[in-house]
Amino acid sequence: MDIVRFEPTGKEGAGRALPVSSLSNFFDAANALAAKQLCRKKFALVHPSGYEIDDGDLLELARAGGAVVFSLSDVVSERGFRRAIIISKMRLLLSACRKRGTGFVFATLAKDASQMRSARELSAFAAVLGATDVERKDAEKRMAGIATASTKPKSGKPNSPVQVGK
Amino acid sequence: MKPTERFKRRYISFSLSLSGNPPSYNEAKEMVHAHFLSFFGEGGISSLAFKLVKYDAQSGRGILRCERSRADEAIFCMACLSEWKGAPARLEPLSTSGTIKRL
Repeated sequence: MDIVRFEPTGKEGAGRALPVSSLSNFFDAANALAAKQLCRKKFALVHPSGYEIDDGDLLELARAGGAVVFSLSDVVSERGFRRAIIISKMRLLLSACRKRGTGFVFATLAKDASQMRSARELSAFAAVLGATDVERKDAEKRMAGIATASTKPKSGKPNSPVQVGK
Repeated sequence: MKPTERFKRRYISFSLSLSGNPPSYNEAKEMVHAHFLSFFGEGGISSLAFKLVKYDAQSGRGILRCERSRADEAIFCMACLSEWKGAPARLEPLSTSGTIKRL
């Protein structure tokens, strides 16, 4: 299962890709201050553009049942030294998430079909960031839970919590 | 050298496309080598035991070799290829095996 930024058709694997527009709890955090506010929302999926979130905010996000989104397209779109920096930041954030008990998911956040990647590639992405096999499986289960919650009819409440692993 | 002292190898089959078409052998070799070198560096390539084993220019499919414990890194590196000399490119891993025969 994957989260993308466009409306996938059947040809592009609509069953596997979940558009951002269908997720009411997905948020892009432009900076650390924005991330701070978003981490208080219940069951929020926070995608920090700079991959910098304070430990205190991660703790709040964990309490609120939210998760951090790691995007493969952020890595693919960069080149050379800047790619190395963003991978390094992702590794540090993943380590902080593990320390604070915050959930995380891996997605491509592809803007078009050419940016989509297979499940094996996403798994390799998670492994390169330092996620263990158990964490990778948990992230996949969490993603499947998000997909199930997003397909349920909206009743004015936030999507149901996704309990994984622990 | 004893077999136990050698690199433990993994073979990854892949599909390569450049602007939607499979590139020629020389172009594919240059592309794959340059991309891996850019991603891993010279030291990384040496410990990765990287080699382009086979490539078929007709189908755009090929096989590359890497060190067993670093297969995930090699697949991630393949996923990171999105363009080559301004043209859209895709290096898609298909399957992984310990022997070429099983791919």
